[in-house]
Amino acid sequence: MTSIEADIVLPKARAAGRAWVRRPREPITIAPWIYLAPALVLLMVWTYIPLVEAFRLSFYQWNMLPTSVPKYIGLKNYERLIALPEMRNALWNTLYYTLGLFPMSVVIPLFVAIWTQDLTGRARKIYRALIFVPMIVAPVVAAILWRWLLNEDQGIVTRGLDWLGLERIGFLTDPRYALATLTWITGWKLIGFSTLLFSAANSGINSAYIEAARIDGATRWGIIRDIRLPLLSPTILLLSMMTILFGAQWSFAYINVLTDGGPLKSTTNIFYLLWQYGFETMSAGWSSAAGMIAFAGFAVLAACCMWLTKRLAVYDN
Amino acid sequence: MLRRHSLKLMAAFTASLLVPFGASAEMAATVDKPVTITFYNYNLASASAGADATKELIAGFEKKFPNVKVEPIAVPSNEIMSRVQADIVAGRQPDVAQLVFRDLIYIASDLGGNALEDMVKPAELKEQLAGMIPRGLELGKVDGKTYGLAYTFSTPILYYNADLFRQAGLNPDEPPKTWADVAAAGKAIKEKTGKNGFFPGAYGPTDGTFVYQSIVMSNRGKVRDGNKLTFADTNAADAVKMLHDMVASGAHAKIDPASASDTFGSGNMGMFLYTSALLSSMKKSAAGKFELRLAAMPAFGDKPTAPTNSGSALFIFSKDPLKQRASYELLKYLTSREAYTIITSKIGYLPLRLDIVDDPNYLGGWLKENPMFRANLEQLNRLTANLAFPGANYRQVEKMMMDSVREAVFGKGDPAAALKSAQDQAQDLMP
Amino acid sequence: MTTDIDAPTTNPGGMFLQPLLGRLAVHGVMILLSVLSIFPIYWMFVTSFRPANEIFSTALWPSAPTFENYIFVLTRVPMLQMLANTVIVAAMTAGLQVVTGMLAAYALVRWRMRLSGVVHGLIALSWLVPFQVTMIPNYVLASQLGLLDTLAGLIIPNASHAFAVLLLYHAMRSFPNEILEAARIDGAGSSKILWQIVVPNMGAPIASLSIIAFISAWNEYFWPLLLSRKPENSVVQIGLQMFMTQEGNLWGPLMAAACLASLPILIVYLVLQRHVIESFMKSGIR
Repeated sequence: MTSIEADIVLPKARAAGRAWVRRPREPITIAPWIYLAPALVLLMVWTYIPLVEAFRLSFYQWNMLPTSVPKYIGLKNYERLIALPEMRNALWNTLYYTLGLFPMSVVIPLFVAIWTQDLTGRARKIYRALIFVPMIVAPVVAAILWRWLLNEDQGIVTRGLDWLGLERIGFLTDPRYALATLTWITGWKLIGFSTLLFSAANSGINSAYIEAARIDGATRWGIIRDIRLPLLSPTILLLSMMTILFGAQWSFAYINVLTDGGPLKSTTNIFYLLWQYGFETMSAGWSSAAGMIAFAGFAVLAACCMWLTKRLAVYDN
Repeated sequence: MLRRHSLKLMAAFTASLLVPFGASAEMAATVDKPVTITFYNYNLASASAGADATKELIAGFEKKFPNVKVEPIAVPSNEIMSRVQADIVAGRQPDVAQLVFRDLIYIASDLGGNALEDMVKPAELKEQLAGMIPRGLELGKVDGKTYGLAYTFSTPILYYNADLFRQAGLNPDEPPKTWADVAAAGKAIKEKTGKNGFFPGAYGPTDGTFVYQSIVMSNRGKVRDGNKLTFADTNAADAVKMLHDMVASGAHAKIDPASASDTFGSGNMGMFLYTSALLSSMKKSAAGKFELRLAAMPAFGDKPTAPTNSGSALFIFSKDPLKQRASYELLKYLTSREAYTIITSKIGYLPLRLDIVDDPNYLGGWLKENPMFRANLEQLNRLTANLAFPGANYRQVEKMMMDSVREAVFGKGDPAAALKSAQDQAQDLMP
Repeated sequence: MTTDIDAPTTNPGGMFLQPLLGRLAVHGVMILLSVLSIFPIYWMFVTSFRPANEIFSTALWPSAPTFENYIFVLTRVPMLQMLANTVIVAAMTAGLQVVTGMLAAYALVRWRMRLSGVVHGLIALSWLVPFQVTMIPNYVLASQLGLLDTLAGLIIPNASHAFAVLLLYHAMRSFPNEILEAARIDGAGSSKILWQIVVPNMGAPIASLSIIAFISAWNEYFWPLLLSRKPENSVVQIGLQMFMTQEGNLWGPLMAAACLASLPILIVYLVLQRHVIESFMKSGIR
């Protein structure tokens, strides 16, 4: 239930060389478990036990009521889900959400961070403060705001289109645009945060490298390509991983508040689907099965991402 | 594993409770001891006139029955059913709940709602139901037994913008009576004023199926017949095709279903078919901007219309005899003449008792000031029960149906084909 | 990682060589991005002061600003109580996440156990469990524990989070070894080392973690929506929800409520803005 949302960033994995107080073959002790207990107990009680329960329920047909008996049906829930066109549609949409977020969570922020590195003083501070603001706006508030702005008849964006002599766009009603609109709203909250991280990483690059390259006659683009981008790679990979693993989940609140998965199912993603099964149609089995598919899928993706990060990231040691 | 265990235990426990009480324990004759009952209510979860009216009603009840304390549980309407269910799962038996009609059958068959006939002695029940319109009582019945008592409900009504009618060269004193009139008027408004012509509140996330079912049943269609789905059969499909054709001609707007009422309220739409419960907020947003008028829902040629009910009914879930009595007294109070007067005049829903309409002690005075409301009252004569779906997968079936309706109306393909394929798919999920 | 963020990263002298046009373009892009970020919030603010019949107006400032929406919000919904509740919930959640995260991270860094890999993996993996799956079972549990309609029910399930553990774990691993060795030789116990040596030197990561945890607890919507039974025991996001009625949205009050729900946190951010950004840069979240 926690959604440390877009705010989240994994610290980059560092080489283990600097770890401290690692005394091999320390006698077995319960001390570490006492320290670990609060976090582990909470995670067990509120995350893993429900997860195991969901795993079990995914083999049953049940509406959760004490008056009805869960019926064991084996893998039927999974078979049915996979056969359902809705599920395939939701999986494709999940992919679109994820890919659609990349420009806003990685590409534009990276570009902006490098391009604005020479800005100084007040202007830079003000820009940074402003583009970070969407980050702290609640998703529900963001959803309400954008519905207000994008309303097809009286929204300010529609008025703007009219003023420019363009045709009106059904941002939330036209199946061709709705998914892109929700992706944009999700990305709107991310741009500032990503930019901040890239700027921080960029300004952390040792300027001696840049100077040396400049003396060697490297062009501006050459410096970016050969020094900045490689040294920014841990941040790039980190933000890419966050986008892949959590992008679709971040858009959940907007789907819930703005479109309910429509129009014509064009904005449903996997998380919304399992929410609908669980809460609107009350099929615990379907919902759990969809949940397990999502969890397993993202766990595999996470493993792939970690592996890639280890192979591709360049650290300044 | 702890939880799995406790769930099983709980299931066994509750089941053992249900059987004896449901079958034999009799509702107490009076509330002779202090008792607290829960009342799940969605009006209280919004900052609307409905919340004030509900608070007023609860206060009135507690004053009349000092032994009963009502613990209101405010849940937004789209969450309230899951909450009642979750609380039953969690072992907290709800007492009284305001729930929508789409869940009617499920409440009776799975959720353990009490049928009034099983709980209340026949003579006492007869006395309570006397004076309520029979068509209204039908709304909450499953297999001949009354599970829900219509509480805040309404029927679709045509709001129209008289100013836009004039601008489009139409006569606002002669509002559209048939769908052919709506198509012509909508097209004229779209072409002459550039504003939206017509839109029904039939596709949105919160409006359920009542406007859609009203349209279908007005064309003598039905969404299901027993356990057989029929929403793709000729009459029902023709009704949807009519909407599809209006979209094609431009008479029917293509806007966000969730903000259709905003579009009408801001003066950007000619005609809007939706619940009369919106009347007071519509009047507010139209004030000083355009002339708002009301008409009965349009008909298919000379076939009589079949307005179905939106809104909610009251259900009793209590298992304890004393709480059952307290819950039943609350139910009686909330469907009394006094209560319907408040519900109609302050929220805008329909009264289930027609004898209060012209009585100056009740609604008489209010109705004189709000003659527009008559069009809505008049529809009560043709009130037709909204059909809920049966079986464990009823919500999925309903969702598949509404998805296919949206696709049929707004999509490019053949409307009948879209409905047919959804009907075939959904039929598998019917009992 | 203590780079001064405001120092330009290249030689400032180089800037004179850049064509003026290029700098204008940079400012242009940044202004565009800033406007995109801030305009929706400005619009919310302005709309909250519009009278009911002007609500759909596109004027940049209402012709007759009014407080009627705020008065409506404050009289209809116990908004101040909800704000107070939200402050408590967000602060407690952030505080507990720091404490549980700190303890767990310390255990993972300080001791080498055979199971540390498994524990580390379990903690990280918990992040990927979709909350939609755990909500109903957690509701049942919260109900059995008597946590329904209480602030504790909003806090406890979120009192530990994978992100907190992982962030502090990585920050702690880069802590200089020598200081700790010295403390050990002096005979300091593990708890003394943690609270007296490690924690005081972890200011930046603790600050950024607290900020992130506070913001996300403040913005939490779905769990409070499920748990709340009375408005006065709930949080501001649920207060917002009360203006989205079945009969359509009350836009004016909704915008006023959204302002009330966002302003405290916006003001805190603007006041602490410099520190927030600096702590992010120093905390090694990069």
